Amino acid sequence: VTTISHDEANAELAAVALDSVSSEIRDAVRAHAAACPECGPELAELESTVATLGHLVPPAQINRGRSAGIRSRLVMRARAERDSKSVPVPGRPDLTRGVASLTGLGYRATPGAQRVVTGENRRVTPAHPPAARDVSDKRLIRMLIAYAAAATLALATAAFQLIRTSGARRTLEHRIAAVDTLGPVTDSLNAALTRKNAMLALMTGPDVAVVPLLNQSATESRGRVVWNRATNDWIVIAHDLRAPREGMVYQVWLETTYARISAGTFTPDSLGKTMIQARQAIGRNALRSIAITEEPDGGVSSPTGPTIAAGTV
Amino acid sequence: MNPVDKDQPYPVEVWTNADDVALVRRMVETDETALGALYDQWSHALYSLVLHLLQDPDEAEDVVEETFWHAWRKASSYEPSKGPVSTWLLTIGRRRALDQLRARKRHREDLTENGATFADFPSGAPDELEDAELSARREQVREALRGLPPEQREVLELGYFNGLSQSGIADATGQPPGTVKTRMRIALQKLRDPRVSGRGGEE
Repeated sequence: VTTISHDEANAELAAVALDSVSSEIRDAVRAHAAACPECGPELAELESTVATLGHLVPPAQINRGRSAGIRSRLVMRARAERDSKSVPVPGRPDLTRGVASLTGLGYRATPGAQRVVTGENRRVTPAHPPAARDVSDKRLIRMLIAYAAAATLALATAAFQLIRTSGARRTLEHRIAAVDTLGPVTDSLNAALTRKNAMLALMTGPDVAVVPLLNQSATESRGRVVWNRATNDWIVIAHDLRAPREGMVYQVWLETTYARISAGTFTPDSLGKTMIQARQAIGRNALRSIAITEEPDGGVSSPTGPTIAAGTV
Repeated sequence: MNPVDKDQPYPVEVWTNADDVALVRRMVETDETALGALYDQWSHALYSLVLHLLQDPDEAEDVVEETFWHAWRKASSYEPSKGPVSTWLLTIGRRRALDQLRARKRHREDLTENGATFADFPSGAPDELEDAELSARREQVREALRGLPPEQREVLELGYFNGLSQSGIADATGQPPGTVKTRMRIALQKLRDPRVSGRGGEE
């Protein structure tokens, strides 16, 4: 970048703000202004003034359909770019791995129990009997019988302890297996509860607006749309909808002055009901109406089919 | 954010620059829905400006799309201290429209200048749902435009609507480049602050 003096840069500020200079001078002035406490703020103010001129031009109407297409393309490109850069997010904890760890804990308990048995054995096992030639044979025999009985008793005790420990281990394993079976169920219930609470939170509060949906002749209710303007979440609750024709789905449209934004597609259940949730940010004052149209399966970028239900803000 | 109309089905609130800044922050966090919301808010004003400059709806739509895509890619470069988000967007959009205008002129020598003038600007009534600060600033600039001497206004119009360089304006008006530079500067300073005096080029 060409170096430029303060006075030279200062004299060019207006031309730079208007973009009426060569790129060489523009870059030199901007480089100076970035470090100059006088020129920097002045250039920012002059640029702001030029931008204000842009607010004064006569308003022109952009083609609504094409504007909706531009918007859709921008959001889809941005989403694609974000997804291509993102790394896999860690999922929820693997319950199976958790149970395997619990099983391991149970296994580690077993040697401990065995040590208890070993200790028991030591307690009841006396020291080595003294050898005494003076002792009569009968006495020796009685002593041997007593030792044998004691050893048998110790063995029986050890066997009993071993059986009891094995039983406890089996019980523990059965209980772990039961937890293993119930785990996903509990997890599923917790997830459902969390979802329900989250949805309740979305549907209440000062930032929530409700738009009623009516049928085509505007004589019967077809549901409502809840819009949480703080979180940009939309919940569409509809009822009494006929099944869409073969190969078709219903598509929800958020209509602003300049665009029709798709909020997703759905197929009602066998009773004609649906409840879908979408996240779509639009300006707080931008929404004009909401419509549900019948469209080819997979949805379209702008509405083409008949309106099934609609609501006006 | 203040409710202004109690008769609405739900409170209608003034959209301020703080709302725009929040959207740009979400764009930095790669929330593409914020880009959609920013488009809803400013595509109309941006299209009006670039159409006024280019006089071609197809080219104007292309510039609008390019501008918002640039805003998405460069969201982290936006600095609130340098002005409102709308200023940032309109500056990007005007620059791109002028680039297109210059490229068009390079390929077609027979093209005449954009005949737009500041007199085309309508005298708009204040919008009660608009950011009060922006509204006041707009009125100030509109008023200052009316008070500009013709020679300053002409220099500003050739630069603003046609993207002419100072030497190009000098050729178009038959004035020395130094005079053009001074007139341009004083004219813009007057729009920024109407208390600025001077008859640019004559002092």
